[in-house]
Amino acid sequence: MAAIIEKRNLRDFDWLTAFLAVAIVCFGVWQIYNAQPTETYWSKQIVGLGIALIAFAVIAIIDYRRVIDAAPVFYIFGLILLALVLVPGLGVKVNGQQAWLKLPIIGQFQPSEFVKIPTVLLLAKYFGARKAGTLTFKEILVGAGILAAPVGLIMFEPDAGQAMTYFPLLAVVLFLSAVKVRYIALTIVAGLIFVPLAFWVGVQTGNIKKYQIERVNVILDPESADPRGFGYHTVQSMITVGKGGLSGIKGDTETSQSALKFLPEPHTDFIFAVTAENTGFIGCISLLLAYALLLSRLVAGARQAPDRAGMLVIMAIVGGLTFQIFMNVGMVLGFLPVIGVPLPLMSAGLSAVLSTFIAIGFVISIKMRRFVN
Amino acid sequence: MKLNDQAQNLGIRVGTIQVIAFVLLAILGVRLYYLQVVKGEYYSDKAENQRIRMIPIPAPRGAIFDRNGKLLVDSRPTYNVTLSNEPIKKIDVTDRLEDYSRGLNVDRQYLIERINLIKKQPGFETMVLKENASIQDISWVEAHALEYSELRVELQPQRFYPLGKTLAHVLGYVGEISPKQLEKPEVIEKGFRPGDIIGKGGLEQQYDEHLRGKPGYRKVIVDSRGRVQSEIETVEPQAGQDLVSTIDLDLQLTAEEQLENSTTKRGTIMAIDPNNGEVLAMASAPSFDPNAFVTRIATPEGRREIANYYTNEERPLLNRAIQGRYHPGSTWKIPESIGALQQGAITVAHSNVACGGGITIGNKFTRCMGSHGSPPLSYAITKSCDGYYYRLALKMKIEGLIEMIETFDFDKRSGIDLPNEKISQTPKSWMPSVVKREGKWSDIRTVYASIGQDTVVVTPISMLRAVAPVGVAGRMFVPHLLKEFKAIGAVGEEGDPNYVPAKPSFGFDRPEPKIIEMTPEQNKIMLDGMWGVVNGGGTGAGIKINGFDIAGKTGTAQNSSLNSGGAQDHSWFVSFAPAYKPEIAVIGLIENSGFGGRHAAPAVKAVYETYLAKHHPNLLNGQQIAKK
Repeated sequence: MAAIIEKRNLRDFDWLTAFLAVAIVCFGVWQIYNAQPTETYWSKQIVGLGIALIAFAVIAIIDYRRVIDAAPVFYIFGLILLALVLVPGLGVKVNGQQAWLKLPIIGQFQPSEFVKIPTVLLLAKYFGARKAGTLTFKEILVGAGILAAPVGLIMFEPDAGQAMTYFPLLAVVLFLSAVKVRYIALTIVAGLIFVPLAFWVGVQTGNIKKYQIERVNVILDPESADPRGFGYHTVQSMITVGKGGLSGIKGDTETSQSALKFLPEPHTDFIFAVTAENTGFIGCISLLLAYALLLSRLVAGARQAPDRAGMLVIMAIVGGLTFQIFMNVGMVLGFLPVIGVPLPLMSAGLSAVLSTFIAIGFVISIKMRRFVN
Repeated sequence: MKLNDQAQNLGIRVGTIQVIAFVLLAILGVRLYYLQVVKGEYYSDKAENQRIRMIPIPAPRGAIFDRNGKLLVDSRPTYNVTLSNEPIKKIDVTDRLEDYSRGLNVDRQYLIERINLIKKQPGFETMVLKENASIQDISWVEAHALEYSELRVELQPQRFYPLGKTLAHVLGYVGEISPKQLEKPEVIEKGFRPGDIIGKGGLEQQYDEHLRGKPGYRKVIVDSRGRVQSEIETVEPQAGQDLVSTIDLDLQLTAEEQLENSTTKRGTIMAIDPNNGEVLAMASAPSFDPNAFVTRIATPEGRREIANYYTNEERPLLNRAIQGRYHPGSTWKIPESIGALQQGAITVAHSNVACGGGITIGNKFTRCMGSHGSPPLSYAITKSCDGYYYRLALKMKIEGLIEMIETFDFDKRSGIDLPNEKISQTPKSWMPSVVKREGKWSDIRTVYASIGQDTVVVTPISMLRAVAPVGVAGRMFVPHLLKEFKAIGAVGEEGDPNYVPAKPSFGFDRPEPKIIEMTPEQNKIMLDGMWGVVNGGGTGAGIKINGFDIAGKTGTAQNSSLNSGGAQDHSWFVSFAPAYKPEIAVIGLIENSGFGGRHAAPAVKAVYETYLAKHHPNLLNGQQIAKK
């Protein structure tokens, strides 16, 4: 029996998805090196990839259904971690955000990256179990509640960027749980009205901080933005991207935007700008195509998922990844505000790589069991 | 799981998410194409502009020496505290003025003016806030490097005038190019930029192009905070050429000392070599300290000092030798006499004209200082007989005087190599307005003009230039201060795009002298008269030097315009020596001091004595022995 599973596992293991993910990380390591050749971020990222691959393999082999069954436990555990981040002495403050947790042995990590996974699992468990038919209002409220707990804790850090990445998870799950199309239309219309309104109210009441207003203004009118103040990140990022041209700068790393420190956070949030500078339009398009291919593989997996919960897990991951890629690259290309969202698989950071690989591990696990039922 | 089994169009919904994902990625791709392919060049230039900086390396400005190699002007290394333009475009530095003012000990008002200037002229890369920074200033800037990253300390050679007020009018001073100057097309053409140091006034301005040299630069790569990361290339500056002037510092110091010791301490003394036009001394009092404009311009005291220079009624900034205009009084009689001889109003054989103790024009009697009968020309010069010249001028008519004025270039600049020389005013320039106002040119104006009054106001330099030719057979030279510019070597390798060729040594491009036509007999009669002024019991008899005969002419010019407050006459003496083979010509003017023979002549004598001590010490000793 075990031998059969082993054999089937190997046959059904999605090598292409795994290869794509690893390839993107390796490409990212090269860009991290380009961004900060004198620092050790790139070698740490390789170590991170190693750890991530182990976790990935373990998750892929474990039957995802058992994990989904245990989702509430993971979820509670995740919330505890998020709460611990806020405890003075345990949480570490970087750039004004208390988003990191420093624990003995394990070291420093960012719980908000990992808690997405139990959140997705719990959503999948709840919505996967329900019977066919349109969503009830109560069901929507439960979904919103599952999301609200971690998002609320993350907003205390405060890390608006990370908090935002949670919303597409719920959105996708609700969408696929037969929420009525007119509700979706209503939500979009309401969003178009209420987001600017909320922004305006926030500005008027002072709840939205001045730097956040400026970051939005920069996007609306980059030419007249203050290139040394709040517009700095956006302007420098656009210069860096544009400078790459068709095929990148090739060599001459000493005068690169990151080497001269014109580009801020080059190895993390602005890694795509570094990629653009070094590999040009050709490199960037190749990377976007790789993402597109990876997402296609994931969606294909969702279509083959053995059960509803599995399908929801994969599609939530697809939604989360797509949203993060779009927010991050949109920011780098200067048409979305500067919000600290890492680029999946590219940005330096163990937490982000690990959580992404765990997510992909689930996808592979689900795909491997597509014929088990 | 069969998606189609579901009643919720699940397959379509999954497909919708996939399409949305692809559309979002496609949007990113389109934006990438726009930034990298369409506008790649634009951003590439932007990136280059923000990382490449040209840091100018100032060229050492040429020094200025006197004719014997004594240093008159030099540059010394100093540190400037500068304000970078880039950061202050965005930060409001007006809040920091108080701190700058305290930390650097600079006048607050001055800082406000500087900041306003930098805002009006976006061409500034950096602007000097304080020149000649002290160790305390430098350490203050260093200590606040993080707080005030817009402040820097830069090494800059600074102009230094070791002699202070001495020769100030001749040397001029240097300063930052003014916004007004920067608007001139010829200035823009030469590549001047805001903040550049240029000569202002005097030789510094006249020969700025040669003194300034060619600045070099360092082309560097800077990081986002403006710190230099690496150097692309360095182009060394070519130093300015050293200027050797014709000035003899010893004569100059004597001349200035004489003015300083004069009754009014206002006036000018100028000495030239009549054989070639070289200016040996040019003193103007009161004077100013050029260092005030260079080293003290940022301090409150220095700014008051400069303001005083501009508002002071005694006008210390005026170079009286070339910018002051005075009635010449009787000194005017020298060129006038030559004009009369040239025009035939008198001849060598018949030069007598009646004195009459004065003249009556209409019902107004204008008197002579004495009663000289009907003297010959040389005697009229020696005794400075006004009556003689009243009648001589009436004989020449105003047309004759104007012809003389043209002969001696009183209607032109002398052509000296100094900026802002004034042109004398004479009956020639006054004629049109006088005739328009009074209907005609009346005889009384001709009479007044004959003794250098009324419509005659001349610059001391034009008078000296007109009189000096009497001693050198009528050769009238253009006075000049440049003796030689020293050669300077090339910079860089030949064929290099930044190669700056060597500059050769060169002197003053001296035009041929204008010849004042005189027969030897005419010349002699003039010389005899001028010799007699000092050596024949004339109006300048008090300054006779044995063995070194001075030929000269006194002048005592009334100035009706200054009558209020009982302004005294201007005292003139114009001369050369030795009388029959002159080596040096000297003019002296002491404002409002009185009689020419009493004030200007002794001051001029002191200059001759210094000259003798240097060139003919035996003569001076002999005289002193004779005195004993």
